[in-house]
Amino acid sequence: MRDDPAPPPAPAADLGRFPKTGRFLLGRGRERMTDEERDVLEKAACAVKDYPARHHLVRRGEPVDTSMMLIDGYVSRYMDDREGYRQLVSVHIPGDFVDLHGFPTGRLDHDIGTLGPIRMALFDHQTLVGITERHPRLTRFLWFATLADAAMHREWIFRLGRLGADGRLAHFFCELNARLELVGLARDGRFELPLTQPDLAEACGLTGVHVNRTLRRLREKGLLLFRNGQVEILDQRGLCVAAEFDSDYLYSDFGAWKTT
Amino acid sequence: MEDDVNEPAGGRAHDPETVPGAVSLQEGQVMLDGPDGVAVAMTPEAALETGRRLIAAAERANTQRPG
Repeated sequence: MRDDPAPPPAPAADLGRFPKTGRFLLGRGRERMTDEERDVLEKAACAVKDYPARHHLVRRGEPVDTSMMLIDGYVSRYMDDREGYRQLVSVHIPGDFVDLHGFPTGRLDHDIGTLGPIRMALFDHQTLVGITERHPRLTRFLWFATLADAAMHREWIFRLGRLGADGRLAHFFCELNARLELVGLARDGRFELPLTQPDLAEACGLTGVHVNRTLRRLREKGLLLFRNGQVEILDQRGLCVAAEFDSDYLYSDFGAWKTT
Repeated sequence: MEDDVNEPAGGRAHDPETVPGAVSLQEGQVMLDGPDGVAVAMTPEAALETGRRLIAAAERANTQRPG
């Protein structure tokens, strides 16, 4: 049974000293980074930019010479089919190095866009080259971050391939809750989520009406409330069971929820 | 060694579903939830035609059962 209690609280992000990168790998290895490594990463950011909601950041196939770490807000990676219907392939939260994989690949195989308004730190690829050459241990943390992304992609494939509508939505909210708790942006199953029901539909392979009905069903079962951009998980264990959710793939420093 | 056998639990991944899907409707859409990981919404026209095709195929499949 994939059945998990709540995780312990994550350490607070040191945003005073590391305003751009203070949430990077928080709860997932940041404690093991040295002060020097944190400083190097913080100083490697060449710019900070704000973008409005629903703004295109990177288009598929474009050459990229910077990578972006999300400081505030939510970003999605997505792919559109020939008819223009969209599939979200990931949702990123503060602390995520959204397109670090664009550093070795030089281009992306998907688009990236903002969901709500965001703040992003930019890292020039030449600077990242310097990090990989002079800071091999920090490089391994960066590598870990992309592997953690890959693990989430695998879990999203499981979600879409094996779960029904209830499970897909439940899993989506369980994952975001777990990730946001690690970076200090969710507490007691409550967090802000500036997504619409069509966004959820695009993440879960459902129609908007189907999402609406499924959210109602989850609410009637006493599992979850989602309205006006606010999420409240009413029954964390019940939602995890509906989602077949096991947080081990997030590689939290605290272990999977089921083992705590 | 039995522990090394890489098969899905009970071979379920290759078995046809024995539990029918749940059907509901909202705002002029017909929604089929399950069996398995099925989650699809259809227009009434598509749902009607899908239903006809399912019934026709199920009747033919009944005649193909062994024994």
